[in-house]
Amino acid sequence: MEIVVCVKPVPEADTRLRVSADGRTVDPENVKFVLAGYDESAVEQALLLKEANPGSKVRAIAYGPAPRTEEVLRAALALGCDEAIWVEASGDAASDPVSAARALGPSVGGLPHDLVLCGKQAGDDESGLFAGALGELIGAPSFGYVTDLRWDAGAGRFRFQRAAEAGAERWESPAPIVVGLQQAWNDPRTAKLPAILKSRKAPIARAPAPPAPGDAPASRPEKFELPPPRTGAKMIDYATPEEAAQKLVKILREEAKVFP
Amino acid sequence: MSATVVVIAELVDGHLSGATREAIGVARSIPDATIVGFAAGSAAPSAAAEFGRFGIARAFAAPDPRLDTGYPAAVARSAASAATGAGASVVVVGGTTFGRDLAGRLAVAWNAAAATGVTELAAVEGGLRVRRPVFGGRATETRRLEGARAVVAPRPHAFAVPPESPANCSVETLPPADLGPLAEPKRTAMESAAAGSGPGLTDAAIVVAGGRGVRGPENFHLIEELAASLGAAVGASRAVTDAGWRPTSFQVGQTGRTVSPQLYIAVGISGAIQHIVGMVSSRVIVAINSDNSAPIFRVADYGIAGDLFQIVPALTAEIRRVRGLG
Repeated sequence: MEIVVCVKPVPEADTRLRVSADGRTVDPENVKFVLAGYDESAVEQALLLKEANPGSKVRAIAYGPAPRTEEVLRAALALGCDEAIWVEASGDAASDPVSAARALGPSVGGLPHDLVLCGKQAGDDESGLFAGALGELIGAPSFGYVTDLRWDAGAGRFRFQRAAEAGAERWESPAPIVVGLQQAWNDPRTAKLPAILKSRKAPIARAPAPPAPGDAPASRPEKFELPPPRTGAKMIDYATPEEAAQKLVKILREEAKVFP
Repeated sequence: MSATVVVIAELVDGHLSGATREAIGVARSIPDATIVGFAAGSAAPSAAAEFGRFGIARAFAAPDPRLDTGYPAAVARSAASAATGAGASVVVVGGTTFGRDLAGRLAVAWNAAAATGVTELAAVEGGLRVRRPVFGGRATETRRLEGARAVVAPRPHAFAVPPESPANCSVETLPPADLGPLAEPKRTAMESAAAGSGPGLTDAAIVVAGGRGVRGPENFHLIEELAASLGAAVGASRAVTDAGWRPTSFQVGQTGRTVSPQLYIAVGISGAIQHIVGMVSSRVIVAINSDNSAPIFRVADYGIAGDLFQIVPALTAEIRRVRGLG
């Protein structure tokens, strides 16, 4: 099976977020960008499917600026991806998931692909737009919120579950498909030291970003804000549990106005 | 200049869903918008006519049984035709898994900019300006959607559902779209969420979540009874799902679900960052915990320090009393 996994560098989960000097984005200074969250699950699932289907190949691809994008591609190689392709982004372009799909579309479409995997949403913008946009661009069915993704070689079909509000849906589809993954079969693996060392010297293929037409619709960041620090809860004084309950219900009704 | 805004329906039992009503609220927030409805699937003609209940005079229907599963990639083709046919500059989808899957697809099919999880929007010169929480609610970004067309999905519960104001809605029928390879995927089964509160968790207006302080699965009924009194979904911290007291589908947090209800009640949850990032963007947070120095009280709006085994039953009884549930 030919698998392409799309990854995005995002700030490490426990990063203390700061606003950039121009006020438009998160400040990338002193931030460690990593392969994380659902993208990590997507890589894990790609490797599990490769192991389950001998002869498979996993290619990792990413769109973004230097050096962070190259670093997450090396992380993907260290985990066991066979090849890495980097499409360099300039300016804010990579912050728009639809623009990212447009930039990666020609490269992904040009690679052999039975399955294109990405996380159901990126760890920073949490948009969940990429899989659908990429699917439309390469003319393949796309599914977000996918779990339990399996390849039934006999039937020549992927079988998977999609988590929707009304309940879990079971789907099947022939290849190729684009999947926004919610969960891999197991927790993501960690890279072994020799693999990490080897990945530092591994070649990363460069692919050009297609020129965006001047009037292409896109979204651009204007402002990045951190919430005012929470001042802490207003604690309810009470003598009996009943009094606590009455006071809380009164507050929720009259002050917070959230009570049905 | 007035904008034409197309609202994409999501159907539940053949009727417009709550998320669709909220999407109508999003469209209404755009000044002078002319709103046009769209519905897909066998029930589309009658569902499209339901837009009339919200004073919407025009709607498109794609009565194609191949779209009955609500498979977003296939619906996108007809939705793009409707948006083009209506001369729309904005398309609003629901803030659901369907809506978000559709948004990316439609952005390309209809050549538009797109944003999901939107909490505020404004029409500006040359496009739309949107605000949306990012980084699990730890920050907010403002983006400008540039170009003549935009697709927007709201964050659940961020926009008010408009009151009904009935009008006649004229429904135009769209021909079946050429689906090509998109006709291949088949839905083979559906599992109702009624048994667990898993998927319901992300779109519930109120969530009551239990943590390690509940001490064991045998006590979790206290959480469930409080949730039932409020018509709320039940959630849990990772300590609870890791211990197997409740399935992982209940987990709220970084490795579980992110929720943003109107009201989040955390019971016996200390407030590890892992949990906080999954619920911090809730509108109002209440914490009930025996340890008055628990970190959960730093993010909560209201707190009760005390024994949950006493407080929670009293709270359930009080809510049932004021709601007339006996």
